[in-house]
Amino acid sequence: MGDNKMTKERMGRQVTSSIAMTVVLVAFSMLFASLFLGYTVFRVTSDVWPPMGFERVDLFLPMVSTLLIALSSVSFWKFQTVFIKNGHGKKQWFSLTVFLGLAFMASQVFLWRSLHAKGIYVQDGIFPSIIYSFTWVHAAHVVLAWIALFYLVPTLKAGLNIEDYENRVFNIGKFWHFLGIVWLIMFITMFLL
Amino acid sequence: MAFYEQHIHDAPKTFLSKYIFSYDHKVIGKQFLWYGILFLGIGGLMALMIRWTLAFPGQAFPLIGNFLFPETGGVVPPDTYAMLFTMHGTIMIFYAITPILIGCFGNYLIPLMIGARDMAFPLLNMLSLHLAVLSAVLLMAGLFTPLGAAAGGWTSYPTLSTLIGSPGVGQTLWTLAIFVLGISSTMGAINYITTIITLRAPGMGYFDMPLSVWGLGLTAILNAIFLPVLGAGCLLLIFDRVFGTAFFLAGAAATTGTGDPVLFQHVFWIFGHPEVYILILPAWGIVSDLLSFFARKPAFGAKATALSMTTITILSTLVYGHHMYTTQMSPLLTQSFMTLTMTISIPSAIFFANWLGTIWKGSIRFHTPMLFSLGVVFVFGLGGLTGLYLATVTTDIYLHDTYFVVGHFHYTMAASVLLGGFAAIYFWMPKMFGVMLNEFWGKVHFWITMFGLNGVFMGMMVVGYAGMHRRLYNPFVYEFMERMIPINTFITWSAIIMGLSQIIFVVNFVYAVFFKKEKASTNPWEVGTLEWTIPSPAPHYNFKEIPIVKSGPHEYGNPKLTGDRDFQYQTEELV
Repeated sequence: MGDNKMTKERMGRQVTSSIAMTVVLVAFSMLFASLFLGYTVFRVTSDVWPPMGFERVDLFLPMVSTLLIALSSVSFWKFQTVFIKNGHGKKQWFSLTVFLGLAFMASQVFLWRSLHAKGIYVQDGIFPSIIYSFTWVHAAHVVLAWIALFYLVPTLKAGLNIEDYENRVFNIGKFWHFLGIVWLIMFITMFLL
Repeated sequence: MAFYEQHIHDAPKTFLSKYIFSYDHKVIGKQFLWYGILFLGIGGLMALMIRWTLAFPGQAFPLIGNFLFPETGGVVPPDTYAMLFTMHGTIMIFYAITPILIGCFGNYLIPLMIGARDMAFPLLNMLSLHLAVLSAVLLMAGLFTPLGAAAGGWTSYPTLSTLIGSPGVGQTLWTLAIFVLGISSTMGAINYITTIITLRAPGMGYFDMPLSVWGLGLTAILNAIFLPVLGAGCLLLIFDRVFGTAFFLAGAAATTGTGDPVLFQHVFWIFGHPEVYILILPAWGIVSDLLSFFARKPAFGAKATALSMTTITILSTLVYGHHMYTTQMSPLLTQSFMTLTMTISIPSAIFFANWLGTIWKGSIRFHTPMLFSLGVVFVFGLGGLTGLYLATVTTDIYLHDTYFVVGHFHYTMAASVLLGGFAAIYFWMPKMFGVMLNEFWGKVHFWITMFGLNGVFMGMMVVGYAGMHRRLYNPFVYEFMERMIPINTFITWSAIIMGLSQIIFVVNFVYAVFFKKEKASTNPWEVGTLEWTIPSPAPHYNFKEIPIVKSGPHEYGNPKLTGDRDFQYQTEELV
């Protein structure tokens, strides 16, 4: 119990799992890259941006989202470090990640509601189409990742065999950070620029 | 070499764990085979209805016409015709070829040929099958909606595929089905790539893998990278249809905003061009192996073949624009795409010459799998050469959207892949089901199929060159095409004969699987790759002891062979 030696078998499983996760992330990157390709086409072919008299989206809520998702990445990273060292505070960092993930989704809902309050609906043209669709697709992935977090509940037990659970912690962590990076790119290209 | 040891679990006992929730790559592979054969039948029937309409316009489709289209007295109505060619393309590409070549043989062959006990992620493998089934249900459900299934062509270009072009639920279901199938194939690809990298038997380097595994692995890489691109396009199309976004709506079609219908074409072909290589690469790999196995010679330039396939894989990602020459692309772009497309001829010519080099002066054994492999060499040669006319901008402007295109892609994708798939089925039948297919009826099946498909696709090229457009319900309303009715009738009769000859295969296959008593031996073809070192059919967990690989897959007639056979198992050492 709590034995943390690196055997050849364990190394092999880690490498296998990370190769598979790399392929997964490449696939998801291509999904989002295609969306950004579409966005780029619309953006560079439009005379003014935002088009058709739309105003830019107020930056406050997207900034809150950015902060929340960045913090959740940090707290997941802390959870992972504690988990590997078999140290204390696993539960706190895990709960914080879950909470921050939930808070991010709430901030997205507020963003959509604030757009609705201004009378901007998804069917109003290409600009709202992009803002809504891209945040929807991203949010859908965050929901999946958030549900996947609960797959980590068994890792919260004290004194477990790290080797049995490490790969799922690494993989869900990578996906969680990946979604953070995607959001950051969305924040910069769609809201800031 | 294997990164970790795969432990042997007990064989499943119950029906559910054996057939429905099976983790076994062999069972999943066979399930994909049945799935693919089922859809091959459905898609083939649709093709016959299309051909019937073109040869005998206004006449009732024989036997089942009155049952399917009672309101027109058995004649295929125009809107149904559009639905038929859409569903024929979709079903054949995504639900017949993909499951048979990639789902079945990818799953079945990769672990066996590299000496692994199963895929790296058996659960993911099972989920991939289940999603494929779900996707098929979604697709077929479209046929039973009030306005029928999707009818915007297999490419489903907007605005045909938006609510303006197809208001029914069928198109939404189609898009959703393709999205789900994309997830399923990506799951498979993750598995294949990881398995090939991490679970090769000790001693097996990448160039010791049979070329089939090379083809399947490269296909998996393309799948993992480019299916998500189609997924993104499908998502946006679903949003356009369901939530009223305006990505692909422009001009009068859009009530507000400025979407771009051509954007979908870009996204579709960024995926779509790699997709044609996704379909053909496994067949290339399998044929490269089989030619060597039955010519009893080493695969000529096996390394060069593998590297050519890799080069084609890379180049295939850079040429998609040649599908869109007529979309007002800038001439600079069309010429760049033309040049890149032409570049693909170089690696293609290399491995094609390697195929010929392999059979050159070989002691060829003309068994059924070899006949089908030689068929692939012939039809792929023709298909590849006619591609040059479509890659060239000047000729493509004339040939675009004619039956010449249909003939070309059927030669490359349909004929080559179909023959390659049959070659694989006849060849690996003893390992999969433990019985041999009947050789005589296999050869009959081959010759009728071969003549039938050449009649169909050669004829298509001729009428296409003469100017017949694809997708027209009744092209003979145009005066200059009236004279093509005889050749269209010829094409249709060829198609009917080819379709009927598949019954021979189905009977042969079903009889062998369920009724044949005589068991196949461990190595009926005298081949040295790893799957032939274990009993037929392959036992639970494949290898009791993980084999140690000591030589390449194609050591035939090598003077350094140790035994008195003309081949050598990969587990045996050369002198």
